[in-house]
Amino acid sequence: MSGVAFAYSRAADVADAVARGGAPGAAFVAGGTDLLQLWKAGRATPTELIDVYGLGLDGIGVDGDELSIGATARLSDVARHPFVVDQHPLIAEAVLASASGQIRNMATVGGNLLQRTRCPYFRTAGMACNKHRPGSGCGALDGEDRHAALFGAGSSCVATHPSDLAVALVALDATVEVSGARGVRRVGLSELYRLPGERPDVDTTLAAGELITRVLVPRAASIGRLATYVKVRDRASFEFALLSVAAVIRIDAGTIVHARLVCGGVAPAPWRLPAGEALLIGQKPERGVFTVAAAAAVEGAPPLPGNSFKVELLRRALVRTLTTIATGS
Amino acid sequence: MSGERARRIEGALKVTGRAEYAGEVRPDGMLHAALVQAEITCGDVVGIDDSAARHTPGFVDQVSYDDARSLAPSTATALIREPVVHFPGQPVGLTAADTLLAARTAAARVRVDYVERPSVAAIDQALDEAYAPAMAGRIIGASHRGDPAVALTGAHLVVRNRYQTAVNNHHPMEPHVVVCWWEGEQVVVHTSTQAVYGTRAIIAHALAMPADDVRVVCRYLGGGFGCKGQLWWPWMLWTLTASKRTGRPIRLELTRAQMFTLVGRRQETVQDLAVGFDATGRLVAIEHDVLAQTSTHGEYCDTTAEVSRRLYACPNVRTLHRLVRTNEPQPIPMRAPGTAPGTFALESALDEAAEQLGIDPVELRVRNFADHDHDADVPWSSNSLLQCYQVAADRFGWAQRPASATVVDGRWRIGWGMATTCYPAHRQPCRVRVRLQPDGTIVVQCGTQDMGSGTYTVLAQMVADALGVPLSQVTVELGDTLLPEGPFSGGSQVTASMFPAARQATDALRAQLAELGMGHDETLADAVQRIAPDGIEAEGAATANADIDVRCMSFGAIFTEVGVDADLAEIRVRRVTAAFATGRVLNPLLTESQHIGGLIGGIGMTLLEQTVTDRSSGRIIGDNLADYLVPVHADMPEFDIALIDEDDTYLPGGVKGVGMLGTAGIQAAIANAIHHATGTRVRHLPIRIEDLLHELPATTPGALPSMSE
Repeated sequence: MSGVAFAYSRAADVADAVARGGAPGAAFVAGGTDLLQLWKAGRATPTELIDVYGLGLDGIGVDGDELSIGATARLSDVARHPFVVDQHPLIAEAVLASASGQIRNMATVGGNLLQRTRCPYFRTAGMACNKHRPGSGCGALDGEDRHAALFGAGSSCVATHPSDLAVALVALDATVEVSGARGVRRVGLSELYRLPGERPDVDTTLAAGELITRVLVPRAASIGRLATYVKVRDRASFEFALLSVAAVIRIDAGTIVHARLVCGGVAPAPWRLPAGEALLIGQKPERGVFTVAAAAAVEGAPPLPGNSFKVELLRRALVRTLTTIATGS
Repeated sequence: MSGERARRIEGALKVTGRAEYAGEVRPDGMLHAALVQAEITCGDVVGIDDSAARHTPGFVDQVSYDDARSLAPSTATALIREPVVHFPGQPVGLTAADTLLAARTAAARVRVDYVERPSVAAIDQALDEAYAPAMAGRIIGASHRGDPAVALTGAHLVVRNRYQTAVNNHHPMEPHVVVCWWEGEQVVVHTSTQAVYGTRAIIAHALAMPADDVRVVCRYLGGGFGCKGQLWWPWMLWTLTASKRTGRPIRLELTRAQMFTLVGRRQETVQDLAVGFDATGRLVAIEHDVLAQTSTHGEYCDTTAEVSRRLYACPNVRTLHRLVRTNEPQPIPMRAPGTAPGTFALESALDEAAEQLGIDPVELRVRNFADHDHDADVPWSSNSLLQCYQVAADRFGWAQRPASATVVDGRWRIGWGMATTCYPAHRQPCRVRVRLQPDGTIVVQCGTQDMGSGTYTVLAQMVADALGVPLSQVTVELGDTLLPEGPFSGGSQVTASMFPAARQATDALRAQLAELGMGHDETLADAVQRIAPDGIEAEGAATANADIDVRCMSFGAIFTEVGVDADLAEIRVRRVTAAFATGRVLNPLLTESQHIGGLIGGIGMTLLEQTVTDRSSGRIIGDNLADYLVPVHADMPEFDIALIDEDDTYLPGGVKGVGMLGTAGIQAAIANAIHHATGTRVRHLPIRIEDLLHELPATTPGALPSMSE
């Protein structure tokens, strides 16, 4: 059923937004594509919505040695922006694998990074869910677990983060710029998300009222590097990832000198696979190397009965991603 | 024989937003309603306290069991008269308020006290309570001819397997909605329904009113697929009750989540099937046992095993349907009821047999063609199945079918598969009125409704053809009980029912004009001005079919090409070629469209659709369209549809139904293609990545071409 009534206002500027955004019941809204669903399902119960869509935070451009993407840039604009397409095609790939054309025309970068899990126990009324109602238990742990996490979960919560974009951005060592009551700070995207632990209801390290204003991607993350995004799903489009992989490698003199392997849809946050990355460094870009690295990357993932196939699926997706990069096809 | 490829005459109204759907009717002073839903799985409602709800600003009224006690007892009123909870989320009351938000807020504040009882969340929790219903749909639940047990013992080959199909929900784009108001002792009901007349009868019975005091209107439907029928009636009747008491128009619209529980589902099946063959590939025996779910408050059984009784020639056949009652929502027919899950089992088994016998799958079916209905031992009114096989196989290129698991296209393993589809051809009573207006234009009226499949257009075509006027001169009125009584939209029978009635009406109109002295070379427009200046009208009627000495069915053959990602096991349907024989084709464009829509529904059932129930709570989870997957545009294969015209002289007008055919057969055609691509047999639906992944060899390690820096 739909949610409770709320007040709505447009923020005058970032200062106004962060000044008001910390109040109990306040929530930021931009494209609203996830918030509307959460509100209808009673999973977001804001009493005051502060609209930040019109604050001019939608610029995309080069800032020093970084690509800067405004938090309210629409996904559709990001995917076709010349800087993004030329310098960071991985971002465009991940964005175009997300949602549908209509949703990408509304959804923003900041909202995409902060969308909440698609775990059906979180989204369905009346189910046990520590993320929705702390202390109520985790229905997925002993229930339907096809979408449950392979990594980073705990006994309190096995929900996964659904963003495609965030997976690509972590692979590119992106940071986010955050404005809050205590000024502006930068945080690595990997550090934006937190694991469920004792507080599965809290998804991020943002303080109350803090607003993501832009995403920054080091230019070096892409220069001379090869990358691609592979998303595995049941239908051909418009579905959250069953799992996904973003891989970035740099080859120097026939040897891999830099590697990022990040997977999506299998952890509470975009999940780096350092064991796999380490086995790529110093090696030739060959299928045998990829196979060994992929096997190491997924080792130790503790699956549940309904998602155990994803360990093998992830291993294969890693090989596919790296092979696609190496063969350029 | 084929008619004109006319586009939908109401299409422009729909795409420009001018077609008024039931939920868009907004009478002055209208209240909004919301349902109070049970939080338990099974038990009795012992108290309803709405005192907190009444304090909600905008609250107007709340109705529940006590307020429905005066309604006549029937299956349509049982759930709103008897305070018993049968499944989670069952409505226990309805609130009405000035705004939707207030209605929903008030609904959330209604306190309900229950006495809970133990529940059954899934059929495997109560297998020992399975029982055989007397009827499966319209047919007797059990059948037996010959001696299949003995015949299986002596068979050259027996393929014996268990096949399972998941719970599906219908999910038309337009949700169920009612907007109703009272005018004295009369009530006007705009509702999204597949049966305006059926709805009228239910309301009149429940409220003990003359039927003429009830007007039900549904001019357009945003899809139905079987769920816009009886399971909607209880909640609609509560809305009417609240409207009567408040004296205000009220609108109730279901949420998408409610459409998972309140308006029916395709029941899950567990099918044990044994098919026996002789050495030449002729069927000697079939045993088909179906276990399915029904609710604790109603009984419904699909005709799942019917295909095994009559699709092929076979002397020894035994079929049985059994049901298990669970505290889950009530199943009802969903597009291609029975034939969709039934052909999945039978046509998968035939593919397995063909492989083991070393006979081409098409040839195996040709060898087992039933030249009459072996179950009833009567002739077919027509059966062009052999032609369907031939035409579809030719257009698909089946003769070039490669060996199993050998074709690769990039990252895709390619497989081809085929299957047969069928559906009974029915007819219902129907009246059609044709009016020649003073200006020479024609108005046609029928109290059936258009689900979106082209009923407006095809009725206009029938009348335009019969009277020899252009289509543009014909206006059609549907979806209103002020019009002559028409059939419900279900079972692929509306067009077949309308045709004889429309023909009778146009014949009667011509006869009247002739009697009044219409000249032989006079146009209708000239004639009406001269001899009937106020216009003139006539009615025609059709009766239901009562086929005793003949069996009427539509048939088809479906061929698919499927790609399975060689490593990641993603499954995509690439190509579907199908030939369908449905009697006389009145509009090839709309018929093809119906078939394609049906096939898409079948693709969804095969690869995507599954309503998931949490086994511990019995609740449906993922009750939204992001989790309940249906095919999207990117999933669309290339469709090639062949229409086989039949001259069926038994059926009035030679018309058979179209809507169901594409949604059966396609499941097995895809499963068989997946087997051809990968060597893996999957005997349950939906077929997903995890069903194939571990059967696909991991890519062999090896050196890549060397990379330059």
